[in-house]
Amino acid sequence: MEDQEILLKFQDPAARNVAFNQLVRKYQTKVYWHVRKMVIDHEDADDLTQDVFIKVWKHLENFRQDASLYTWIYRIATNECLNFLSSKRRKFFLPLNDVGAELAAKVEADPAIAGDEIELKLQKAILQLPDKQRLVFNLRYYDEMPYEQMAEVTGTSVGALKASYHHAAKKIEQYINTHSD
Amino acid sequence: MKTPFRLDDHPRRTSPLAPPPDGYFERLPRQVMERVQPVPAAEGALPGWLLAFSRPMRTALASVVLLGGFATSFFLSQQIVSPQQPVADSSAALALANVPRTEMVQYLLASDQRVTLPDLAELPGTADQTVTDSFLQASSAEVQDILDEQPTDDLYL
Repeated sequence: MEDQEILLKFQDPAARNVAFNQLVRKYQTKVYWHVRKMVIDHEDADDLTQDVFIKVWKHLENFRQDASLYTWIYRIATNECLNFLSSKRRKFFLPLNDVGAELAAKVEADPAIAGDEIELKLQKAILQLPDKQRLVFNLRYYDEMPYEQMAEVTGTSVGALKASYHHAAKKIEQYINTHSD
Repeated sequence: MKTPFRLDDHPRRTSPLAPPPDGYFERLPRQVMERVQPVPAAEGALPGWLLAFSRPMRTALASVVLLGGFATSFFLSQQIVSPQQPVADSSAALALANVPRTEMVQYLLASDQRVTLPDLAELPGTADQTVTDSFLQASSAEVQDILDEQPTDDLYL
């Protein structure tokens, strides 16, 4: 179902639930993986993904369609992730590196990475990046999102996003090269 | 020499982490839909007239009722205690009067709270005959003489 059709149905109280169910089915995988790559842990990603869709439900009526539904949902998911990570740091009085270390430990324990040394180093290198730069890297590298869409999601200029991605890629290569045997 | 790592040469995984549990994406829409639906059961447990108020109003009402309960119990406890107060005072005075004088002197000598000469001199009851009769068993003149004979240093009983 097209976004436009979903939005139209959502305005009709009788079809609202059906429309929203369609919306969740359409975007759940992308939202889940976007969140999961930021918080690493499945349980956290599950909670946050549900929270994202609850927010979408609450605000969809007022969605003005200045941006596409896709980028609007991504934006909500991005804010949820960044708020989650910063509140995690505040809650446990942890400095930047300790949350990074916690996430790195979860990556090490992930069965999908076990045995793949280069992939493990890559994931650890990504976790060294500041949250916002990691987000930019994930959107570009994994989701292959065009810079214009990334600008809508992050509220940052295309130029700044290109520079951020370039620096992130360099930092990752440098990390892996200095940490190789 | 080892080839330096280059991100562009590395095969990219679209989902680098382990996939979620089986059936997760089948369950997720139902879980989300359950969370966005209103919960009528909790509302149904309330009396009908309470539903006329909004949630914040109901919370405020509950707080007022609770505070009222505290205030009422405090007021009632004051009403019960007040008439008994003089009885308690008089029974305490009676119990004190029944303490033998020797024991009272022993207590005063043993305790750190010593009565000094200035304390006696300032005792308003020294001019009162009934007090001297009951406590000192001496006339005012005798008391005055004894006080005049005392050195100026503090003297403890």
